[in-house]
Amino acid sequence: MSETLLKIENLKKSFGKLEVLKGLSTEIRKGEVVVMIGPSGGGKSTFLRCMNLLEQPTEGSIIFDGIDIVSADDKTKNRVRSEMGMVFQHFNLFPHLTILDNITLAPKLVRGASAAEAERKAMELLRLVGLEDKAKAYPQQLSGGQKQRVAIVRSLAMEPKVMLFDEPTSALDPEMVGEVLDVMKDLAKHGMTMVVVTHEMRFARDVATRVLFLEGGRIAAEGTPAEIFDGRHDGRLGEFLGKVRVGTEFRDKVKSELFDILKDREVSEDELARLKDLLAGNNPEK
Amino acid sequence: MWQAFCDEFYLCFLKPAGDGSLRGEYLLRGLGVTLEVALFAILLGLVIGFLVAVIRSSHNKYGYFSFLNAVSKVYLTIIRGTPMVVQLLITYYIILKSVDSKVLIAILAFGINSGAYQAEILRAGIESIDPGQMEAGRALGLSYWRAMLKIILPQAVRNVLPALGNEFIVLMKDTSIVGYIALIDLAKGGDIIRSQTYSVYLPYLTVAAVYLMLVMTFTWLLGKLERHLRNTGADPVHNDS
Repeated sequence: MSETLLKIENLKKSFGKLEVLKGLSTEIRKGEVVVMIGPSGGGKSTFLRCMNLLEQPTEGSIIFDGIDIVSADDKTKNRVRSEMGMVFQHFNLFPHLTILDNITLAPKLVRGASAAEAERKAMELLRLVGLEDKAKAYPQQLSGGQKQRVAIVRSLAMEPKVMLFDEPTSALDPEMVGEVLDVMKDLAKHGMTMVVVTHEMRFARDVATRVLFLEGGRIAAEGTPAEIFDGRHDGRLGEFLGKVRVGTEFRDKVKSELFDILKDREVSEDELARLKDLLAGNNPEK
Repeated sequence: MWQAFCDEFYLCFLKPAGDGSLRGEYLLRGLGVTLEVALFAILLGLVIGFLVAVIRSSHNKYGYFSFLNAVSKVYLTIIRGTPMVVQLLITYYIILKSVDSKVLIAILAFGINSGAYQAEILRAGIESIDPGQMEAGRALGLSYWRAMLKIILPQAVRNVLPALGNEFIVLMKDTSIVGYIALIDLAKGGDIIRSQTYSVYLPYLTVAAVYLMLVMTFTWLLGKLERHLRNTGADPVHNDS
């Protein structure tokens, strides 16, 4: 068994009176790819955001590098965050900076890297994700998939010990999900420790070394992808997996029907965007 | 008609005043005072504005700086609740009674006044930035202040540049009340010429034209800056980057 990177014990988080995390414990070991699945509101994202202290846990401990970071001082927390990468659902690139500056900002400011050194590293990473020609572009000139790849590179430039992914493909058009997942698969292959919140069950099955099922603020089930996806489950996990399966089949069916219907018709940009939203599972009324 | 105009022009601007200098120099020296007061007041206002805006928005979003936030609110209430002229008079006759330089007093009074308005403009700018921007900065290991300085403020300033420019223009014109503390600025300079020559048209219309040119020049510069910022970066309306 390899070295433990993060040891989380009895983690609780409340927002006002609402208790979102009700005492979670787990360990993230070096080289693991832990995928968290579960219904919305189950606490997946909050749990992930507690790991790098974007949310301050109400109770419990997170041991990283031998210290409890929950009760650490601000300086230590900043250092800890610089050693954990985080990729967000909405990319959160800095729109006022070029792609290159987005990537080199933190290495220069936090690590004190020289401009030349930071840029060399950034270009190298950009080349790995096939975006070296976008170095001088601004985020608004990129597609969603490109933005998310840049966001991953921005995190990698800090040489993190672990990468946290918060629904990295949920805001993407369906045709761009693949390119982002490919980069993540590549990372996993190279031994990066990853914690991923996602609704991409295929990715969880193919890449995860361990799957956590979060429900009602607790880890309701845990196991290898085979155990989780191929086993028979009663209760919440079985219900959730059933819904996901039916949902995916249903969506695929609707998609092919729609394509048939719309094949020969003119569809306006607005209608197209609306359809894409619906197919991606987003509720446009929200 | 033409001769009358030339006579009046000579009387108002070229005829030596009591001390031997030309009357027109009242306007030139006044213009210098106006520019000096306006420029330094804008800068002082910016410093105050940034501090108060960061304190207020940090308090609203994260609950930081409770005490400083309370102080800021008192400051905003008093400054925005009383007339500029009254503030100027209080500064001159009460608070800074022992200070000799009227220019300095004017700069302080106008800077402190403008700071309140700039603070609220900048606060609106800071609060318009998607919270994900701060989160992304913090997640990369930047401290709160660094993320504020390098990520939030540049975007916030760009979003509120038109409103900020408007405040600068208002401030520049508002300095025309420094005559109340007998400081001779552009407006007061025109007024002195009027009082010496009993001619009203030329002094006041010239003063108005000079203010207009100042504001137009400034608006033009601001427009250039806005276009420059727009060309080097994202459309500020779309924060989903």
